[in-house]
Amino acid sequence: MTKVEDLTVRLGAAAGDGIQSAGEILARVLSRSGIYIYTYNGNQSVVRGGHVWFHIHAGNRPVYSMGYGIDYLVAFTQQSMDEHADEVNNGGAIIYDSSSVKPKNFAGNVKLVPAELANIALKYDKYPIMKNTVSLGILAALMGIDFKIVEETIHTQFGKKKEDVALRNIQAATDGYQIGLKQEKVKELTYDYSKRFPFLHSNYSFSLGAVAAGCRFYAAYPMTPASPIVHWLANHAEELGITVFLAEDEISAINAIIGASYAGARAMAGTSGGGFALMQEAIGEAAMTETPIVVVDVMRAGPSTGLPTKTAQGDLNMMLGLSQDDFPRVIVAPVNANDAYSMAIRSFDISDRYQVPVIVLMDFAIGDGAYITITEDFKPAEINRGKLVYQASGDMLNGTWFRRYQLTEDYISPRSIPGTPGLMYVAKTDEHDEFGHDVSDVLAGLKSALKTREQMYEKRMKKLEYIRKEMRPPTIFGPSKADVTLITWGSSANPARDAIQRLRGNGISVNSYEFTDIFPLNQDVEGMLKQAGMLVDVEANYTGQFANYLRRETGITIYNRMLKYNGEPIYPAEIENFAMKVIEKEVL
Amino acid sequence: MINLKEFESDVRPDWCPGCGDFGVLAALKDALVSLKIPPYNTVIVSGIGCSSNLPGYIRAYGFHGLHGRPVPVALGVKNANPELTVIVTAGDGDEYGIGFNHVVHAARRNDNIVVIVMDNLIYGLTTGQLSPTSREGQVTKTTPDGSIYRPLNPLSAIMGVGGTFVSRGFSGQPKHLSWIIQEAIKHRGFSLVDVISPCVTWFDIYDEVKKQVFKLEDTGHDPSDMTKALQMAKTDKGLPIGIFYRNEDVPSFQEMMQQQIGKNPPSKGVKALDKAKIEQLKYEYS
Repeated sequence: MTKVEDLTVRLGAAAGDGIQSAGEILARVLSRSGIYIYTYNGNQSVVRGGHVWFHIHAGNRPVYSMGYGIDYLVAFTQQSMDEHADEVNNGGAIIYDSSSVKPKNFAGNVKLVPAELANIALKYDKYPIMKNTVSLGILAALMGIDFKIVEETIHTQFGKKKEDVALRNIQAATDGYQIGLKQEKVKELTYDYSKRFPFLHSNYSFSLGAVAAGCRFYAAYPMTPASPIVHWLANHAEELGITVFLAEDEISAINAIIGASYAGARAMAGTSGGGFALMQEAIGEAAMTETPIVVVDVMRAGPSTGLPTKTAQGDLNMMLGLSQDDFPRVIVAPVNANDAYSMAIRSFDISDRYQVPVIVLMDFAIGDGAYITITEDFKPAEINRGKLVYQASGDMLNGTWFRRYQLTEDYISPRSIPGTPGLMYVAKTDEHDEFGHDVSDVLAGLKSALKTREQMYEKRMKKLEYIRKEMRPPTIFGPSKADVTLITWGSSANPARDAIQRLRGNGISVNSYEFTDIFPLNQDVEGMLKQAGMLVDVEANYTGQFANYLRRETGITIYNRMLKYNGEPIYPAEIENFAMKVIEKEVL
Repeated sequence: MINLKEFESDVRPDWCPGCGDFGVLAALKDALVSLKIPPYNTVIVSGIGCSSNLPGYIRAYGFHGLHGRPVPVALGVKNANPELTVIVTAGDGDEYGIGFNHVVHAARRNDNIVVIVMDNLIYGLTTGQLSPTSREGQVTKTTPDGSIYRPLNPLSAIMGVGGTFVSRGFSGQPKHLSWIIQEAIKHRGFSLVDVISPCVTWFDIYDEVKKQVFKLEDTGHDPSDMTKALQMAKTDKGLPIGIFYRNEDVPSFQEMMQQQIGKNPPSKGVKALDKAKIEQLKYEYS
């Protein structure tokens, strides 16, 4: 038995075998043993059959990514063995269903644990679904986890309503635990059963943040991997009073939230890249009518239908170049579920105060099934609705129309909501004057209209200069100064964190700049990049969209780019190897 | 007191003299005054086209949005605050062309909004192209040899997808149209008010419509009879106007939603969650 600081577990099976729920039980067991986790759901766009896997990286310190190799592989199918066995680390173990899976030959030191997983499961149910639970029992024993925690977690998972199912699962797990106890332990963490860590994936924590910020209207059309947002909100709709509108398409969803926001709600829509492409025209509509909205794009690997269940950070260019002509928008990208909560609150806050659309970029690597231990304190929101006018003052009541698009010093106009007497106005997608009257039709091209056009254009765009002051510089992970600086945005910060810890352990001077506030860019970024070490860009797309954007904004070119576009999340070892190559090249 | 003056805008319509849309504007104002709905509780949502310029010409809350998308904006407004009277005013291009999908789904959900379609059988603002309701053989800029496209029958289509209030008015009869709009506003759920509102510049069918039009009420039509309503929607013997079909037994989407989420609609629910609730939700999966 070896005590380790962190380890990884991978469960491989066919779709429909219940692998995600087994993975979630294990994540729970570990979290109730004082262990930090990161998980990843390697699923396919199939309901039954195929090959799916669930990966857990667990540690005594916070872990952020896939980790290194596989320490424990559970193979329910031959394909799971064939696909993953060569990733198993020296000193690791493979638990496999000996009635259906044949082991591979290994050169290294890998412990094989054959067990009749399905046959044992059939003792407790007419279908072998509890083979998951049997394997969890074996895993718990090999990892040295107290069985009480396994038992307690199974009870929680099935709840009081399914007491009978829970008891049968506990029997199945006990059988597995007994098998495991007969083996020599493999790799073990240090457990603290007095601690119970919360864990969420970013879709859930962003949803929680949105509701915490007072969002009570959500519209969407189902699209992987954004769907867990609508599932979470629908499951809490009755309890929290949320209107969840499942629209006929994404165009309807985005227009519905614009309508809801115009009528006074805090409203949000969520989708993935393809759905967002359909929403683009309406993002311009929100900016032109100065209606606050928050739109989430949980990115997946494109282009077009691409790899629907796989990850990428390929939608940045779309967000920078959305829809027609220039208009203000804000783009943010949380790192993981820890900051996604507060990012949701901030998104609504910025959107309301500046009356602009806020776009949030997340992805599969931190989304559906990508749970992480929550170490952040989730503080309640302070709601500031900006220049919302709840009641007409005397001078406002005199005119025919409310001066909704009034030119002001900070370029933000007072906003009224329907139902308020005396403050009627028409929200306009046509170019308009301060009262919301068209300058697009009978006035178009006239001298007075040209001036109005310029004033209104500047009014909208100059809001960005105030927003820029609120945008945060990148967070530095690691030492403030280092020889090598990894540039990450959104989720690519996570594997970089794990890589940095290992590189620094090997004496390499490295840190990272983690960008979360993408557009408009904080004004200190150029200076920070000039002071940084050798720059290495890390992102999950083909061209290095963020690096190209940084060049556009700062004139600084990052030549070393670790780009990944095969659909799998970035592994820390890939960053490590790339960084080492860059260093060697420079030294030579 | 709610009177016409309160709905008076200081913006002059840019429609051609004689445009059917003047009649629709007059009828809409008359309907709102008759029902004593204050301007501040009225929201007029439109798309793009001559008819969609209407919100600026009536002093009420308005949203002049994208081509084809007023229906989803309107239902967002209605869901956020069901106390508002939400009326879509748009054209046949908006509602039967690019945005027909939304009309179909709003009808089957029974969203509690009124959709007034100023149907002129032509694209007017873009200078006379074929519309989804243009007639077979109609000569337009895009069909110089006569249209070979079969026209959409919006009334039978919306009845077919579960619409609960299907009607047609004529801009040349604003009093009658006002009555239809009032009934549509009072209706529990989705109301389609198709209005023959001729384009005097690109497809002037005023004289023809005047000759053909007759009121369904005068024929003893029973709006609860869908079979009869479908027959009347498809008749080629004259042009019936009035309420073709009406069903008050179907709850609206917003009623159902209120039952699920409780009394605070989204516009009244912008409140922060307290720490205890946040903690409970944070630990939900562990």
